[in-house]
Amino acid sequence: MNSQSLFQQYVTRRHFFSRCAMGLGGIALASLMGGRHALGAKASGSANPFSPKQSHHPARAKNIIYLFMAGGPSQLELWDYKPKLVDLNGQPIPDSYLKGKRFAFMDTSFKNRSTLLGTRRKFAQHGQSGAWVSELFPHMATIVDDVALLKTCTTNLFNHAPAKLFMNTGSGLFGRPSIGSWVTYGIGSESQDLPGFVVLQSGPRGPRGGAVNWASGFLPTTYQGVPLRSGSEPILNLRTPPEVSSSRQQRTIDAVRDLNMARLVETGDAEISTRIAAYEMAYRMQSSAPELIDISGESKTTLSLYGIEGDQPSFARNCLLARRLVERGVRFVQLYHTNWDSHGGPGETLETDLEKVCRDVDQSSAALVKDLKARGLLDDTLVIWGGEFGRTPMGEVREKTGRNHHIDAFTMWFAGGGTKSGAIIGETDELGFGAAEYRAHVHDIHATILHLLGFDHTKLTFRFQGRDFRLTDVEGDLLTRLLA
Amino acid sequence: MIAFRFVHHLVHCLWLAIAIPAIAEQRWDQSKTKHWAFIAPDRPSLPVVKNSAWARNPIDRFVLARLEKERIDPSAEADRLTLFRRLYLDLTGLPPEAAELDALLQETGSDAYEKLVDRLLDSPHYGERWGRWWLDVARYADSNGYSIDAPRSIWRYRDWVVDAINRDLPFDQFAVSQLAGDLLPGATLEQMIATGFHRNTQINQEGGIDKEQFRIDSIFDRVATTGAAFLGLTIGCAQCHDHKFDPITQKEYYQLFAFFNNADEPDIPVATPADVAKAERIDAEVNGYVRKLPDADPALWERMVAWEQSLTPAQRQAQSEQVRTAFDVPFPNRTIENRFIALAAYVEQAPANKSHQTAIARIRRPKPKIDTTMVMRERPDGRETHLFIKGDFTRKAEKVPPGIPAVLHPFPSHESPNRLGLARWLVSPENPLLARVTVNRLWQQYFGKGLVETENDFGTQGTAPSHPDLLDWLATEFIAQSWSLKEMHRLIVTSATYRQSSRVRPELNTIDPNNRLLARQNRLRLDAEVVRDVGLAASGLLSRKLGGPPVFPPQPEGVLSLGQVKRDWKISTGEDRYRRGLYTFFFRATPHPAMAVFDAPDSFSTCTRRIRSNTPLQALTLLNDAAFYEFARALAARILREGGNSDLARLEHAFRLCVARAPTAKESQRLAELLQAEANELRQKTEETKSIKPSGDLDSVQFAAWTSVARVMLNLDETITRE
Repeated sequence: MNSQSLFQQYVTRRHFFSRCAMGLGGIALASLMGGRHALGAKASGSANPFSPKQSHHPARAKNIIYLFMAGGPSQLELWDYKPKLVDLNGQPIPDSYLKGKRFAFMDTSFKNRSTLLGTRRKFAQHGQSGAWVSELFPHMATIVDDVALLKTCTTNLFNHAPAKLFMNTGSGLFGRPSIGSWVTYGIGSESQDLPGFVVLQSGPRGPRGGAVNWASGFLPTTYQGVPLRSGSEPILNLRTPPEVSSSRQQRTIDAVRDLNMARLVETGDAEISTRIAAYEMAYRMQSSAPELIDISGESKTTLSLYGIEGDQPSFARNCLLARRLVERGVRFVQLYHTNWDSHGGPGETLETDLEKVCRDVDQSSAALVKDLKARGLLDDTLVIWGGEFGRTPMGEVREKTGRNHHIDAFTMWFAGGGTKSGAIIGETDELGFGAAEYRAHVHDIHATILHLLGFDHTKLTFRFQGRDFRLTDVEGDLLTRLLA
Repeated sequence: MIAFRFVHHLVHCLWLAIAIPAIAEQRWDQSKTKHWAFIAPDRPSLPVVKNSAWARNPIDRFVLARLEKERIDPSAEADRLTLFRRLYLDLTGLPPEAAELDALLQETGSDAYEKLVDRLLDSPHYGERWGRWWLDVARYADSNGYSIDAPRSIWRYRDWVVDAINRDLPFDQFAVSQLAGDLLPGATLEQMIATGFHRNTQINQEGGIDKEQFRIDSIFDRVATTGAAFLGLTIGCAQCHDHKFDPITQKEYYQLFAFFNNADEPDIPVATPADVAKAERIDAEVNGYVRKLPDADPALWERMVAWEQSLTPAQRQAQSEQVRTAFDVPFPNRTIENRFIALAAYVEQAPANKSHQTAIARIRRPKPKIDTTMVMRERPDGRETHLFIKGDFTRKAEKVPPGIPAVLHPFPSHESPNRLGLARWLVSPENPLLARVTVNRLWQQYFGKGLVETENDFGTQGTAPSHPDLLDWLATEFIAQSWSLKEMHRLIVTSATYRQSSRVRPELNTIDPNNRLLARQNRLRLDAEVVRDVGLAASGLLSRKLGGPPVFPPQPEGVLSLGQVKRDWKISTGEDRYRRGLYTFFFRATPHPAMAVFDAPDSFSTCTRRIRSNTPLQALTLLNDAAFYEFARALAARILREGGNSDLARLEHAFRLCVARAPTAKESQRLAELLQAEANELRQKTEETKSIKPSGDLDSVQFAAWTSVARVMLNLDETITRE
């Protein structure tokens, strides 16, 4: 057998992953795919890390678009209408609310100064559901019948970066896989041409913590999120060098793959299989990504639905890209938009700054849901909207009066993907301090998201350092009221 | 704002790796009253091992003792070529040249390896490699950060670091110079330059900001960086509250803050006094020229005001701070001094003033070029430091004097309570942390992870060391060797532990999946700069010039348009186009994409460990980036020029240049097939082939086919990996 046919037997492009897993027996890919995978659900035959794994029950959602509102949006200005809080504006907080609570920047002077802060925003009821929505969200007010509002979300950590990490990984510690990595690990990716987990960012700066928010932790690096650049060229170096024809490019990549494969056999290092997969993906992205990014084919109606103007990077543009990514089989798209921090200091006021960030996202968040629905994509695409925590019912006096971080009650919404449209779930107490009923912890939210994707969160596990880890750690209850 | 800063520090507070109960030894149990890392290390005795023949030096005794306890054999030594390349990359960040490999293979003496170690530690490229290691900690960059991100001149500090590492300045002096060089008796210019360490903070140049707020911000960063760099502690956590986990109170935090609160932050000229004087004389002459102009031409003022008003916001922003300050006051209310400052800007910039510009240029011609660098300079008066409630600088509480956390070793009574005293306290042999933290970070570079995995947290929330006695032995050895980094490098790279093969051993996958026991070496993806350097070196393009101002190698268009203020990126010519990655100009807001995509640190805050991601974006960079294509063309030409006449010999040369070893028969065959297929296509598609510009007088088909081979070589996982 000459070497050419030997190589071809190993690695024709199409069957590359399955062949090499068999061919290499106990080494690298097999350990990547088999041994270390204690996936409760069995991998369905193929050893492609992105081939969908068999689910535990029928999935309702197959894609997720997660609109991450970085900084902690003030639920009390946006979703959680508390007339009683308005009545008690300026009053000290009743002691019963403070007992045993922890807040960011907590110290005695802060406690002594804290008084209740009623919102100055007007609220009205909308849609069939009669959900209360703030005047800051005129567009989102029009989709309340398509979303499930969850008003009693709670988390454990009250500072931005750890709380973001907690919302993304179920842990405040570095080194755990993000939810996007778990999802692509669990359900794989339908797209052979684009990464299974894509991250888009907008706003004045990136989210605190940066890449750890979409890291794969102890899962193989194949599952990490791939961040696209903001602006008109989200991916650099997509074009083959001018002197190189596409057939030559392909031949070059094929040879790289074959030689990397030989090295994988030689060293047994699973990172090489990730690199091989990265080259496969890179090659396909060269043809798929320009088409993805080029929104010139989108109708004027669509562009104005989202509120996209010009070539400027924006959250609106990213929302449209998210739809296009999902249409092309990308499973998990995460959008980060900053800055929702509203302490009352410069750039963080509940007045002009909050209004600005609301304008940044209101129209396009609503447009995304409408657009997905009109295209029949909302049924199997779960859209998530929310930040890492909420904000206190007490005012925080800085240059102006803002609100501090609050972990005991904040609002998120979910649309499509098997969630209950028009539902209003959970009620906070009359001052908005905590859940009066139906407390929904981050672990519960994670459990429910995995459930919608067809996975039992207690069974989607990965063995690492002698222990089966899962997204929900040892907690998490299904939020059945969120399900359609 | 405050919240961001707070969180920024909490990120560090929460950098906790996953516990490794199966592997971490429990020597330091939780019941002890004082956390292990706060107790100065005792020098442990060397453990007894069965296979003493394997152990080349004390490191190996500790590693082997642990392995024998688990009944695991160490791996065999890596083959010679792998070892040579490993050493070159680890000690100099460059791959071995083909001729060097030939010479090494000829050497038969039993100490050939040790002699190579000596040579590489003496190479000036050692300083570049390990200087970069320190520049990560120093958060070095060539721009000011925040949204304006204007260029800055502080490369003299970078060169100082490289030079200090090259001359093996003892680490304690290395630290003292950087923290307090200005306060050393009879401080030299070099010692002043070294204080640039703490000038690598960001500077906010937006209009309307409170400068005091950002001065304080940079001190917060200095405290956090000092804690991470020299103590391996997340001291920054105590900025807003008592540390949640470690015994550091908020008051103690502000006592540390106080050490840094008494410095001015000037730019100083780096030149001989004569040159400085000459330059000042010429500046005065230019100034005199401009000042006389309105006498002859009173309408100049009006034209100046009109010009000022015509400037776009970006153009105004691009002016020096002095000029912007002058612009801030409308002309009628402007001081005379500021009127002339604005006038000078107008005269020198507006196209209408061509003749004046020519005259000024003539005055300036003999002016020596004087570089400046950013330094710290202690103020004669003392600034008071107060505790800030919740880290908010507008909310001052009690006054605090300089001081150190009570949990650590005492402040020497004979030292002054200033930065120099702090620096000397930090490098005192009594400091239980400095030596441990530093040797741990050296170890991390060689094995991918430190003996303490949480390399920036030796506090109570950090992970326990995998080899506690080894860590302490190394720490005490470091001090015994008078803080010589070179001696520590020599010790590590000559150990049998380091020299093991990195081949994965499937039988250990369940017992030790992360190779904490070190029964083998680890394969490590090269750092961003080194990925570039290997391409440059293999292709023969590399400039080995040391030091000097940062350079501008090609980068994709449009990268700098992402920043708030669009910056120029005028591509360097001559050898500066091919300098090592270390010298690439680093804009914090818009770093060179090939650096960012391979995980170069962002330089916003101290980085004590780089992450190693592995993404399709890296593949796109190596495949398509114009710079890497240029490397491939040069490599192809080099292979054809130097590699002999047969394809096989040329392929062997290509392998030697990129990965040091010879290709296997299968690899050669596979690339021969590629050559053949490429030549076939290129011969058929004559139009396409004509568009390929071969290097020199090479045949375009042959050149293009070899360019494909060169691209394959530069894209191999092995090429960008230290095996």
